[in-house]
This record gives sequence, C-alpha cells and structure tokens, in this order.
Amino acid sequence: MESEVNDDRIQAFTQEIGELKLRGGRGDRERILLVIGVIALVAGVVLAVLGGFQASGTTDLGDQVAFLATGTFIGLALVVLGTALFIRYSVARFMRFWLVRLVHEHRSETDRVVAALKEVEEKLGR
Amino acid sequence: MTEPILELRNIRAGYGAIEVLHDLSFAVGRGQVVVLLGPNGAGKSTAIKVVSGLLRPNSGQLIVAGRDVTGARPDALARAGLCTIPEGRGIFPNLTVRENLVMATFTGFKLADVEERAYSRFPRLSERRNQLAGTMSGGEQQMLSLARALATEPAILLLDELSMGLAPKIVAELYEQVASIADDGVSVLVVEQFARTVLGVADWAVVLAHGTVQAAGPASEIGEDVLAGAYLGSSPT
Ligand SMILES: Nc1ncnc2c1ncn2[C@@H]1O[C@H](COP(=O)(O)OP(=O)(O)OP(=O)(O)O)[C@@H](O)[C@H]1O
Ligand SMILES: [Mg+2]
Repeated sequence: MESEVNDDRIQAFTQEIGELKLRGGRGDRERILLVIGVIALVAGVVLAVLGGFQASGTTDLGDQVAFLATGTFIGLALVVLGTALFIRYSVARFMRFWLVRLVHEHRSETDRVVAALKEVEEKLGR
Repeated sequence: MTEPILELRNIRAGYGAIEVLHDLSFAVGRGQVVVLLGPNGAGKSTAIKVVSGLLRPNSGQLIVAGRDVTGARPDALARAGLCTIPEGRGIFPNLTVRENLVMATFTGFKLADVEERAYSRFPRLSERRNQLAGTMSGGEQQMLSLARALATEPAILLLDELSMGLAPKIVAELYEQVASIADDGVSVLVVEQFARTVLGVADWAVVLAHGTVQAAGPASEIGEDVLAGAYLGSSPT
C-alpha cells in the first residue's frame, strides 16, 4: 500500500532524525545562567564592599591598592557580568511569556468579534 | 510489526512534583493509525507533549525512527517531520485561510504547492481562502489545521482530540481524511476521549487511565467492557 514516494519520505525523515543534535535541555541551561548571574551580582557587591572597608581600614598605600584591586575592582567586574547575565536571561524569559500572552489575547479578541458578528447576523436575518 | 516509527518506553513525566504518566509504553508502526483513548485527565495530552518534545520526561525513552531522541527540541523534531495538531485549535483565527497556509511554508515549501495540496484535499477551504479562519465552522477549522499540517509533508502526525465540540457527522468526515492520510504512508497517533468513530479507522488502540496503559490491542478487538472499565475507574490495580 505504501508508495515509493513515501518510502523516500520515511528515509529522509529517518536521516533527519539521525542528524538531530541532542543537546541537553536548553531551558535548563538558561536557568543555570540566570542563577549564575544573580550569584555573580551578589558576590561582586560583597567583594566590592569588603574591599572598600579593608582599604579604608589601613593607611598603608600599598595595602590599600591591593585591597582595592582584589576587592573592589574584581567585585565591580562581577557586578557588571552578573547584571548582564541576569538581564539577558530574565528578559528572554519575560519576552517569551509576553509573546504567548499577546497571541492568546489576540485569539480571544477575535473570538469575541466573531461572536458579536454572528449575533448581528442573526438579528438581521430575522 | 516492522520496526516502529515511534515508540515510548517506560515514560514517566509530569508537571513539577506531580507525575502524570507512570511507566507509559506503546508504539506506532509505519503507516499505522494508533489511537490513544482515555477519560479526562488520563494523561493523553501529556503523552502527546512528550512525543512532540514539548515536555521532557523524567525517565524513560522516546524512540523516533529507531533513534533515542529523548530531550530533543520540539522545533527540531517538527522540522524533521513530526507534526502536531494540538488540542483545541491549531490555527490562527485572526488570519485568513490562505494566511494560515502561509504559516506552513516555514519548512521551505512553496505557497502555491501548499495551497494546491490543501485545496485538493479539502475543496471547501478553497471557497473560503480569503475568509478569517476564526469565522469558519468548527469542522472547517479542523480541516484547516489538518490541511496546514499536511502541507509540511509530515512523516508522523499527532492529533489531539480532533472531535472536540464537533457533530458526529463532521467527525466521521474528518476521520475519513485521517484514514486516507495514513493510506499515503503517514503514521498517525490520535488522541480521543470517545471511541466510536475513531476505532473504525484505527489499526491499534491503547487505553490509558491514570497515566498507564490499561489495555491495548487491535482497534477492532477493543470491546465496550474494556472501555467502560477504564472510563468508570474500575481498574484492577
Ligand atoms: N500544564 C500543567 N500543569 C500542571 N498540571 C497539568 C498541566 N497540564 C495537565 N496537567 C494535569 O495532568 C493531568 C493529565 O492531563 P492531560 O491534559 O494529559 O489529560 P487528558 O488525558 O489530555 O485529558 P482531556 O481528555 O481532558 O484532554 C491532569 O490531572 C491535569 O490536571
Ligand atoms: Mg487532552
């Protein structure tokens, strides 16, 4: 019963399935990066504040520079990195949600218009 | 049965902490129509989500064309030729019939070919090509979702409750089309709540209740007693 054409289709399908890349869940990776972003942000702030306190706790210029370098600068770098990750992945999540929401609303709006039109049609018909 | 084109092996899946499918296994052979029957909340749509890649199972394997594709992305599976018509409506009601068909050209088919294929199978759509899809009757809307699905030349077609809210006569008509699609070599997995019409076109039936297989067998041999047992909840376990 199966024609040649469909044998070809099945073969193409089998090949495409065979070539599928099976990367682990992308959703999970996104979540992990989001969490890493938050951790980097918090750790950065803590480091920066600590570095600041340590630097102000000593009068030795060399020590101050060292404290600032390990604390404040690395901290600031972490803050920037963390913020970037956080914004990138939380906005992606939000945008996706927003898009679905938009499609959904559009649909229900159409439904309402259609229902209203039907009512009008019925009334005119009578 | 030759090597199945689609197989679920010991699938466990659910939402968050709630497991809906417990150890679900069944297979669809090449060119077969398999129907998944079961009462509300049995987990039929959840099974469809697992097959289409939308829901990642907690354990178990999804085998497609002989390959373990558990965890593959739904868009990749769809592009390869595993096509889903979801529960409710798989169309854009605020677009015209033709614009809906344009949406099927994403896989690289020409609009002219897509239209030709859709209108030759469903002439009624041709008359309504410029009508807003949402203003068509429920049956016509399902025809459109079938037409759009077929336009992408799927190898496997997943249908979730095609009959929802439709008159029995329309449902019978739609299933005649499904049968002819299967005759063309497309393997079809159908989900239905009510058995009568669909058992006539299906080769194999799987009765699902509480997330596991209650009974399975050739569609012609699934008796009223088996269905009643599953639907009324008199499960042996
Ligand atoms: N997104 C979700 N989040 C949480 N629970 C869900 C979700 N979708 C479904 N469920 C639950 O999973 C169970 C199975 O749902 P499913 O939609 O698979 O049933 P079904 O067999 O398709 O039923 P129906 O015939 O009504 O369509 C139900 O108890 C339902 O409440
Ligand atoms: Mg369902």
